[in-house]
Amino acid sequence: MRQKTLEIYSVELDGTKDIEKTDEGDGKEKYRGLKNKCLDLNKHHQKEEFKKELDLDDHKLSNKELERKYGTDIITGLSSSRAAELLARDGPNALSPPKRTSEIIKFLKQMVGGFSILLWIGAFLCYVAYGILYSSNTSASLDNVYLGSVLILVVILTGVFAYYQEAKSTNIMASFSKMIPQQALVIRDSEKKIIPAEQLVVGDIVEVKGGDQIPADIRVLFSQGCRVDNSCLTGESEPQSRCSEFTHENPLETKNICFYSTTCLEGSASPAGTATGMVISTGDRTIIGHIASLASGVGNEKTPIAVEIEHFVHIVAGVAVSIGILFFIIAVSMKYHVLDAIIFLISIIVANVPEGLLATVTVTLSLTAKRMAKKNCLVKNLEAVETLGSTSIICSDKTGTLTQNRMTVAHLWFDNQIFVADTSEDHSNQVFDQSSRTWASLSKIITLCNRAEFKPGQESVPIMKKVVVGDASETALLKFSEVILGDVMEIRKRNRKVAEIPFNSTNKFQLSIHETEDPSDKRFLAVMKGAPERILEKCSTIMINGQEQPLDKGTARAFHTAYMELGGLGERVLGFCHLYLPTDKFPETYSFDTDAMNFPTSNFCFVGLLSMIDPPRSTVPDAVTKCRSAGIKVIMVTGDHPITAKAIAKSVGIISANSETVEDIANRLNIAVEQVNKRDAKAAVVTGQELKDMSPEQLDELLAGYPEIVFARTSPQQKLIIVEGCQRQEAVVAVTGDGVNDSPALKKADIGIAMGIAGSDAAKNAADMVLLDDNFASIVTGVEEGRLIFDNLKKTIAYTLTKNIAELCPFLIYIIVGLPLPIGTITLLFIDLGTDIIPSVALAYEKAESDIMNRKPRHKKRDRLVNMPLAVYSYLHIGLMQALGAFLVYFTVYAQQGFLPRTLINLRVEWEKDYVNDLEDSYGQEWTRYQRRHLEWTGYTAFFIGILVQQIADLVIRKTRRNSIFQQGLFRNKVIWVGIASQIVIGLLLSYGLGSVTALSFAMLRAQYWFVAVPHAVLIWVYDEVRKLFIRLYPGSWWDKNMYY
Amino acid sequence: MRRQLRSRRAPAFPYGYRYRLDDQDEVNQNYLADEEEEAEEEARVMVVPELDEEEEEEKEEEEKEEKEEEEGQGQPTGNAWWQKLQILNEYLWDPERRMSLARTGQSWRVMIRPFAHSLNFNFNVSEPDTWQHYVISLNGFLQGYNDSLQEEMNVDCPPGQYFIQDGNEDEDKKACQFKRSFLKNCSGLEDPTFGYSTGQPCILLKMNRIVGFRPELGDPVKVSCKVQRGDENDIRSINYYPESASFDLRYYPYYGKLTHVNYTSPLVAMHFTDVVKNQAVPVQCQLKGKGIINDVINDRFVGRVIFTLNIET
Repeated sequence: MRQKTLEIYSVELDGTKDIEKTDEGDGKEKYRGLKNKCLDLNKHHQKEEFKKELDLDDHKLSNKELERKYGTDIITGLSSSRAAELLARDGPNALSPPKRTSEIIKFLKQMVGGFSILLWIGAFLCYVAYGILYSSNTSASLDNVYLGSVLILVVILTGVFAYYQEAKSTNIMASFSKMIPQQALVIRDSEKKIIPAEQLVVGDIVEVKGGDQIPADIRVLFSQGCRVDNSCLTGESEPQSRCSEFTHENPLETKNICFYSTTCLEGSASPAGTATGMVISTGDRTIIGHIASLASGVGNEKTPIAVEIEHFVHIVAGVAVSIGILFFIIAVSMKYHVLDAIIFLISIIVANVPEGLLATVTVTLSLTAKRMAKKNCLVKNLEAVETLGSTSIICSDKTGTLTQNRMTVAHLWFDNQIFVADTSEDHSNQVFDQSSRTWASLSKIITLCNRAEFKPGQESVPIMKKVVVGDASETALLKFSEVILGDVMEIRKRNRKVAEIPFNSTNKFQLSIHETEDPSDKRFLAVMKGAPERILEKCSTIMINGQEQPLDKGTARAFHTAYMELGGLGERVLGFCHLYLPTDKFPETYSFDTDAMNFPTSNFCFVGLLSMIDPPRSTVPDAVTKCRSAGIKVIMVTGDHPITAKAIAKSVGIISANSETVEDIANRLNIAVEQVNKRDAKAAVVTGQELKDMSPEQLDELLAGYPEIVFARTSPQQKLIIVEGCQRQEAVVAVTGDGVNDSPALKKADIGIAMGIAGSDAAKNAADMVLLDDNFASIVTGVEEGRLIFDNLKKTIAYTLTKNIAELCPFLIYIIVGLPLPIGTITLLFIDLGTDIIPSVALAYEKAESDIMNRKPRHKKRDRLVNMPLAVYSYLHIGLMQALGAFLVYFTVYAQQGFLPRTLINLRVEWEKDYVNDLEDSYGQEWTRYQRRHLEWTGYTAFFIGILVQQIADLVIRKTRRNSIFQQGLFRNKVIWVGIASQIVIGLLLSYGLGSVTALSFAMLRAQYWFVAVPHAVLIWVYDEVRKLFIRLYPGSWWDKNMYY
Repeated sequence: MRRQLRSRRAPAFPYGYRYRLDDQDEVNQNYLADEEEEAEEEARVMVVPELDEEEEEEKEEEEKEEKEEEEGQGQPTGNAWWQKLQILNEYLWDPERRMSLARTGQSWRVMIRPFAHSLNFNFNVSEPDTWQHYVISLNGFLQGYNDSLQEEMNVDCPPGQYFIQDGNEDEDKKACQFKRSFLKNCSGLEDPTFGYSTGQPCILLKMNRIVGFRPELGDPVKVSCKVQRGDENDIRSINYYPESASFDLRYYPYYGKLTHVNYTSPLVAMHFTDVVKNQAVPVQCQLKGKGIINDVINDRFVGRVIFTLNIET
């Protein structure tokens, strides 16, 4: 059984049976063993588990055996009591949703993640310090308690905020995947009942009709014209018929099993297909359930931005802790009280940690996510926003993503000529010559020999959007003729149909007999369409320019050339012919019998060929070109036929116009494929079968060697292999997919992109992003947004890190030089979480500096978010300048009050003594402790304002990294100005509004002190402009390498 | 500097408008801060000093409050608005000093000697170890007041008027003599233990120096001590030296130590000659005079100082 079960995954998915290939026989066996390999690549135990649970042999059993096995009765169904028992045993018939981290865990994660743990420690130390103080002196100052509480508040607030943002973006998805509860028609206790599909149990007898979703895995007992769409399971879009016979060893292949969550198609024939079947497995035990659980087994990779942020947190936390401990040791060895040293440690940590940054990043990401949602990229996982930006390989589906997912008439061949039809989304201008009388006949056949119909009630809908009952080709033909000829239904009414032989796979043709619309012409018109070679066989004449001519060898050759040419374009070709039945043999009253075939089916007159293709979306070629210039490799992975795949690849530019495959070169040079130098070929078309035989090394070579690759006839499972291959090249891989069995690949990919329209829930669950319009071009917009956000995050982080030095220096100088404390720890928090928040978010709105789609994707190991130049420039250049400027304000305030800078040195101890109430300043004035404390607060406020003013300059310079601010435009990003205004307003509120709240230590500041740091701010701006100027002037120089972040 | 000086409103104060800039919030705050003390001082109506000298740092927002207040009280005067605006304007921009928000008013803070880590003077008369450090502190402090030194360095300037020295700012200024001998029994000249050995401690009171600041014209600031809380008679008698118990005007203004090198802060010595023994007596010494503020809660050294005497025998 083992071999067989493994085969489940080795199903050949030739979605192009329509090309009328006749390799059905070997097709099924082609990929046997593929899954062995695929699974071996994955976890071994999964395979074992898989094997154990897929012992499915119900398709081989007879009805009697089935009844026995499941203890049921085909006529009367299960008894309700038995059903209830089974329901209790097996659980409801529903896929268990993917394991979700419980909300509380998520919340706690936010509470301790990132810098929070540092702040918790800080808060804890604060309370410890207070506790020690309190035990020795009950009237100890409450400063430490304030600080501890504020820190805890900060952690909780930012945690709650991040959690809320996260939850909000997850909710979008939750609403998305909500399903309408399904109903099932079941026979129980000999009665037909409608019950929720969830309550189905093994052994239930269910009836399915066209349009229904199959409610569980079902063994078909009786069927009438039932066809199912297995695309969500196998990726194969062609409908498959279902009957009660056992046709294949493989349970996936046999026709007597319908799978959970596939759809029973609404046939165009009436009555719509129906089937009765017995439920053989439910819920997670269904095939879909197995695949879904396999997907959850594939580990979730960390997103690149998560890696970057972690890297950044490590750097900053490392710096914070090491400086903290270093100064703790210094403080202790300088004979500071250990308690004081602990408080220094806390202050240094608080000064170093950008408390607001992670929240800012979250906001920034969700802003971008919102922007992307507007462009039809729904981001499930916030961090995926950036991942898309660093993508270097996109593995794209063909159908629906690159193409319109709609068969469309592309070419016509009549009068020995090939005409091109318009395949754009609206078919607006059909330019081929419609004057020929052959076209008149051809159009009549197209119109009449067609069973597809528009659903009624769509008069106002544009033709291309109308819903049609019928299969893809017929729909294409119907719409095509409706566009060109007008009301098709009316034409059909005028040419009443008297008999019809529908298309079937043995005949490979479709025939119908009509009265003519000309009342004087009493002849019947027989029209036929089908596989071109079959149609040609049935013809003895051919119509050229409206004249019937005998079909000679020359015309037959012309036909073949045209057929091959169109087929070579990957198009589905149909032949059309007609025959006017003579009135003598077929009078008006003649009764046609389609079973007895009492009418001719040969000696028809061949009229023309018509070829159809699922044409590329019009926006795709552009998007592919953009990806190219952005250094992103686009790989097409499709289940389709190589020829079709290649044709589409060529038409959208995945294979560029002048590149050739090995086969092309061989053809051109007329040599054997083996003789071609593989290096000459830029493109490669690889089929699933070839892929199956490749070793991972060969695959690596293939992926590295060819810039343009198309994988055709691949099973969706092979996507996983391809994705892993790409990831071995250190690429960030984006994968699109829609079927359930794409979900492992979607999970494995760095960013899985599910299709919003065609995608199954399982795929959407596994994906990080959902494309609402299934359009490849939307991915490219997503890439652009992703790259922009990476750049802007850099700016935000650079902006935020800068002030850390200005916040840190006061403590270091306080410890070493003994100045009265320049800025309080709580005041710092007002910068980190008050004035700086809106400006750093505002940087997310910054436009790109240059065409970001013209550079290579970032290397995920080399191009870090926070790199050395960024840290050095922010900390040591701008940061130090800022610290100087802030100290300038501080010294100005003290000097104006009477304490000249040199008096301040080592004043700390005297300054902080509560009992010294006549401390002398530089002018001999004497200060009480309370006055000093007030001056100290004024100093805090002054320092705060100093940083604030310079942060405005910092914000302005961070708008660009390379260009001059004036190139970028000072006013283009209005949000920056909102940010600046918010900074000033918050600063005003804090310094003038909160002056009376003791715990916050703000004091009112004279207006002129606001301007002390302004020259410094201007200096920062000028300095940065000079930096940028040199970067632009000397690209590649030492300066460029070390000053460009 | 923060505004600390709180004042009760005088009902018919000539500078009413200016005065009212002192916002009501602060008053409330004081109530909250120390009701007991408030109650004690409720009856006293403080006279508000000239605006120059008043501590006034106004929040800008108060502009609005001002108006609301006015409306609430419905003052009919038409030009009240104008006056208010002027006051506000004066507050925001001081034309004399050419500064905005410059009206960081000043008021005297006082401090006492001997200098100790707390303001509790606990000592046992019979154990010199418990008071010796006070004596040392006072002696050290008074070195600069030695008569010989004062006579040598400083001038004897006329009492009862400011010793104003116009002229260039950088010019050295002369200082008025304040001789140790002015302190009589508390000078340590006759009793080197400043009375500590007899349980009659001397405490010296000085005003914190403020550059350019002058007490109200013509009315020297006086010192007056009493029991802060408890029985009024616990102190019984205090001798003040100089006997006027005031800081003479000639010691003002102070020009800052850069030019006013030998400036000697005037002192008032309080000699507690008959304090109740073996119990803590809280003493509050206040400055009294026109425009003196001495009831601020936050800063307990504004115009007053509170200390306890606990003399054991």
